[in-house]
Amino acid sequence: MAVTVTKIPRPDRSLWVQSYVPEVMRGLSITSKQFFKNLFTKKDVVTIQYPEVKRDYPERYRGLHRLMYRDDGQVRCVACMCCSTACPANCIHIEAAEHDDTSIEKYPAVFVIDELRCIVCGMCVEACPCDAIRMDSGIHTHPFYERDTAFFDKPALLELGGPSVAHQGGDMKGVQGHH
Amino acid sequence: MLTDILLILLKIVAVVLLFAMPIGSLMTLLGDRKQSSMIQNRVGPNRARLSIIPGLGRLPLVGIPHFLADGLKMIFKEDAIPDGADRTWHNIVPAMALFPAIVMWAVIPFHDHYCTGEIVVQNYRDICVEGQTRNFFSIANLDAGLLYVFAISGVSVYGAAIAGWASNAKYSLIGGLRSSAQMISYEVSMALSVAGAILIYGTLNLNEMVVQQGHLIGGWLPMWGIVVQPLAFFIFLGAMMAETKRAPFDMPEGESEIVAGYFTEFSSMKFAVIQLSEYVATVFVGALIATIFLGGWQVPYLYGDGFHFGNTPTAALELPYWAVIALRIGAFSFKTIFILWLQFMLRWTLPRFRYDQVMNLGWKIFLPLSLANLVITAFVVAIL
Amino acid sequence: MPTATINGKEVTVPRGTAIIRAAAMLGINVPHFCYHPALSAPANCRMCLVEVEKARKLEPACYLKVTDGMVVHTESEKVVAARQAVLEFILINHPVDCPICDQAGECKLQDYYMAYDAKPSRLTTGKVGKVKVYPIGPEVVYDGERCILCTRCVRFCDQITGTSELTVVDRGDRSEIRTFPGRELDNPYSMNVTDICPVGALTTRDFRFKCRVWLMTSTDSICTGCARGCSVHLDHYLGETQRYRPRFNPEVNEYWMCDEGRLSYKRLNANRSGALRVGERDDLSWPRAARMIAGALADAQLQPDQIAFVASADASTEALVAGHEYALNILRAGRFYWTGRADGEGDAFLRCADRNPNRAGLVHSFGEQILERGADRLLKDLKSGGIRALFMMSSALPFGREAVEELAAEARKLDIFILATSHAGSLSSAATVSLPVAKHSEQTGTWVNIDGVAQTVDAAYAPPGVAIADWDVYRRLAAGADAEWPLDSVDAIHARIFSDEAAE
Ligand code: SF4
Ligand code: SF4
Ligand code: SF4
Ligand code: SF4
Ligand code: FES
Repeated sequence: MAVTVTKIPRPDRSLWVQSYVPEVMRGLSITSKQFFKNLFTKKDVVTIQYPEVKRDYPERYRGLHRLMYRDDGQVRCVACMCCSTACPANCIHIEAAEHDDTSIEKYPAVFVIDELRCIVCGMCVEACPCDAIRMDSGIHTHPFYERDTAFFDKPALLELGGPSVAHQGGDMKGVQGHH
Repeated sequence: MLTDILLILLKIVAVVLLFAMPIGSLMTLLGDRKQSSMIQNRVGPNRARLSIIPGLGRLPLVGIPHFLADGLKMIFKEDAIPDGADRTWHNIVPAMALFPAIVMWAVIPFHDHYCTGEIVVQNYRDICVEGQTRNFFSIANLDAGLLYVFAISGVSVYGAAIAGWASNAKYSLIGGLRSSAQMISYEVSMALSVAGAILIYGTLNLNEMVVQQGHLIGGWLPMWGIVVQPLAFFIFLGAMMAETKRAPFDMPEGESEIVAGYFTEFSSMKFAVIQLSEYVATVFVGALIATIFLGGWQVPYLYGDGFHFGNTPTAALELPYWAVIALRIGAFSFKTIFILWLQFMLRWTLPRFRYDQVMNLGWKIFLPLSLANLVITAFVVAIL
Repeated sequence: MPTATINGKEVTVPRGTAIIRAAAMLGINVPHFCYHPALSAPANCRMCLVEVEKARKLEPACYLKVTDGMVVHTESEKVVAARQAVLEFILINHPVDCPICDQAGECKLQDYYMAYDAKPSRLTTGKVGKVKVYPIGPEVVYDGERCILCTRCVRFCDQITGTSELTVVDRGDRSEIRTFPGRELDNPYSMNVTDICPVGALTTRDFRFKCRVWLMTSTDSICTGCARGCSVHLDHYLGETQRYRPRFNPEVNEYWMCDEGRLSYKRLNANRSGALRVGERDDLSWPRAARMIAGALADAQLQPDQIAFVASADASTEALVAGHEYALNILRAGRFYWTGRADGEGDAFLRCADRNPNRAGLVHSFGEQILERGADRLLKDLKSGGIRALFMMSSALPFGREAVEELAAEARKLDIFILATSHAGSLSSAATVSLPVAKHSEQTGTWVNIDGVAQTVDAAYAPPGVAIADWDVYRRLAAGADAEWPLDSVDAIHARIFSDEAAE
């Protein structure tokens, strides 16, 4: 592979600019303008005083996970493991089991997320084909004083959850019943 | 004799503990943190509280308690000395850094000599008649005052260089080397740039310099150093900032490359002392520039007995002597703090230099310019 | 021998070869559902339609035989369009419950959909619901909605096992697979239908929902359930075998394996022992333990006649060769026995009555005579006394629980009882020395089947605890005894095995 050299010419600077002092003055004028403005009026200050003032999270903020449920209150998750496969932090542990209801067939007997290990990337939500896992709880993952408390199991995740009636594989009108 | 010694001690205490150190630590912390926060549209530190003092409760006090909290924290930090470090030097070096920064204050005049008798103003000068002049307002009134400053600031390079060496760490060593190279380079143009001012004032005594700056050119323009030596002012300011290793000249502690440079391996109070010495030196730069270029304790048109507009023997607005003294010390403090503010302003305005740029600036720009300045000044002084 | 041109490449095949086979010879894969090389071709799924020049319409590649001068295109526009149409038809009533479906990840329908169709459904009416989770047999579960009615399963029962349990019932979009009245899919090979089912309509009760297929790693291995030694894909995840799937091997098992063998993988996971124990101590390293064993054997001052060595028809050939070397030259055993699992039911297809995977290897290493000295004889000799030291190559015994306890009780009375075992049990707790060894999923080893076919497998994952390959045990013991040891690698052992074979 041939090495090519591109010469980038130095920018042309007038003597005025090159003499540095006027440019420094120009810079100083900007910083001092800001300084005095904020010294007397605090007008441009953007800091949010966190514990006292809380900022509203944007709608798509990724907070603590939650598991959604069906109309009848059953967990929507079918233990397909798409989320745990997609999870780059390997922090989702699912154990699938056979459901008594043959129309549900498969459900997660165990569903644990290690929120400490989670890197809050949202891949799990992206991967879920069933709209079963969401991160829209809006709850900032709080610190944990003990590691075990960072394991969110199925009941804990369901507690945050809400109903979702999205149809698997898109909107299927009038699904016929089973035999 | 005894009173003299007591007086000197008192002055030392006053200068160091009431001026240099408080301004050094408090103003610089405020300047470093609060000032930068305002430039950057933040609020800056405001979490530490002095709630142990009744009545202060949860007042943020513009972040001042943070500097107390910092001190407290520093005291309780572990003092770690790296393996293989030279323990003796490692322990001594913070003191070596602080010592010159404080000792330099000895020659700074806060006011003219105190006059026990009547003051007559002649030719923009206070002449003390029927009385003695007493040196109350500087620790030592040295005739070679400016040389003393240069001598001591030459010594201050040891602090950084030895700190870097004694830590037995690569970053520290690089920091130490950088600081010695940088400080020595800038000392040259620093001294040469004020040489012009020395020529004009014809003295090395700092108080005498200030006295001479009371002169009004054409009866209205104060003959401050910045007026007669504008180029020298900029060079001196730049060189002094480089001397104190402040941004944009903070190569020796360049965080992005060498962690914290020569004091990387210092912790606890030793770290605090090194930091403090830098801050005190920064304040000293303010005081020195104020003295040489901004008329020191001079207030324009104010002389020993009141305001004179033009070269008149009687004051247009008479003031008692104590009021004059108060005004002048106030003016001096104000100028010092202004230069301090300016230094911080520059620090938060300018991006850092590259090390070769620092050296270029020192040797290829400041040095020739200050030499030219000296030659021209010499000609002008000779002609006049 | 007709010659045809498929996608511009010429191929000459025996008369009567289907286009799909000819294409496969050229490395061209023609998508298909109902065709299976071991079964007849009903050509009912129409997935394999290809364009044959001069033919009026597209032809099924699985059925149409190659004729001389035939020109075939398998990826032409017309063909692809037909495939899309076929897929769309199949998917009309398909539930697409891939998240639940165990086949997802190895599903032909998924693969072809992604490769050729990948369009959302155009269907606006509801789907026809069918039976879900239907227990079609004791080991197999049927899902009517996912079934694409390729009838591979039906043909398997008709043509391979000859049991004919399955058929298609109802017509049109109501069609489903069912057993004939009063019957169940319960032949000893029933789980093969789940392998040949191209979709997730048939699943094994055992593997259902256990592990997603994309998580598992597959290692070529063998089934050690009987002397047939069927070739399998050993699918494992996180150091545990999750399932066996038959691997095509024309010399041994073709495409199939029996249910019992398929479930024998469970032995690889359950009740494993990875601890090295000498007396009361279980914190020893192998070299240390080997020295202690050698020391104890030397201290006991045994006569060869007091030392019994029990070879195992379960162990790898490598272990049997190494064990033989060790028993003769280092242990200096005077009595030889063999053990293994008890015989079971056999048939004319795959299952052998001999449930030991390596009796041939045993005979190869220890000679024919040893077969006369089985576990019963061992128990008898232990009872009659005279044996003071016992070395067993494995804890596999053809006994029921009572007899095992009896043997364990006898063994407890011995001066020294060394057991190399992969499993914990009453025998291993009776042993003075328990040496943990790997199973075939965890080591390199060769097993010789009933027809003399030797299969060498490699480790799929690491053995538990400090267990090592079963042949490596003897190298360690020899090193502990400071003895000369010629068999210090698999290659060295193989050199011996295969040179012997060549000499025979
Ligand atoms: S957000 Fe990312 S890291 Fe956290 S559980 Fe989901 S996939 Fe895993
Ligand atoms: S991807 Fe969704 S349905 Fe699948 S296991 Fe995760 S949460 Fe459950
Ligand atoms: S059979 Fe294939 S396409 Fe159908 S649900 Fe199962 S994985 Fe999905
Ligand atoms: S169950 Fe499977 S093999 Fe049997 S017809 Fe249906 S899709 Fe084909
Ligand atoms: S594979 Fe040829 S029609 Fe099914």
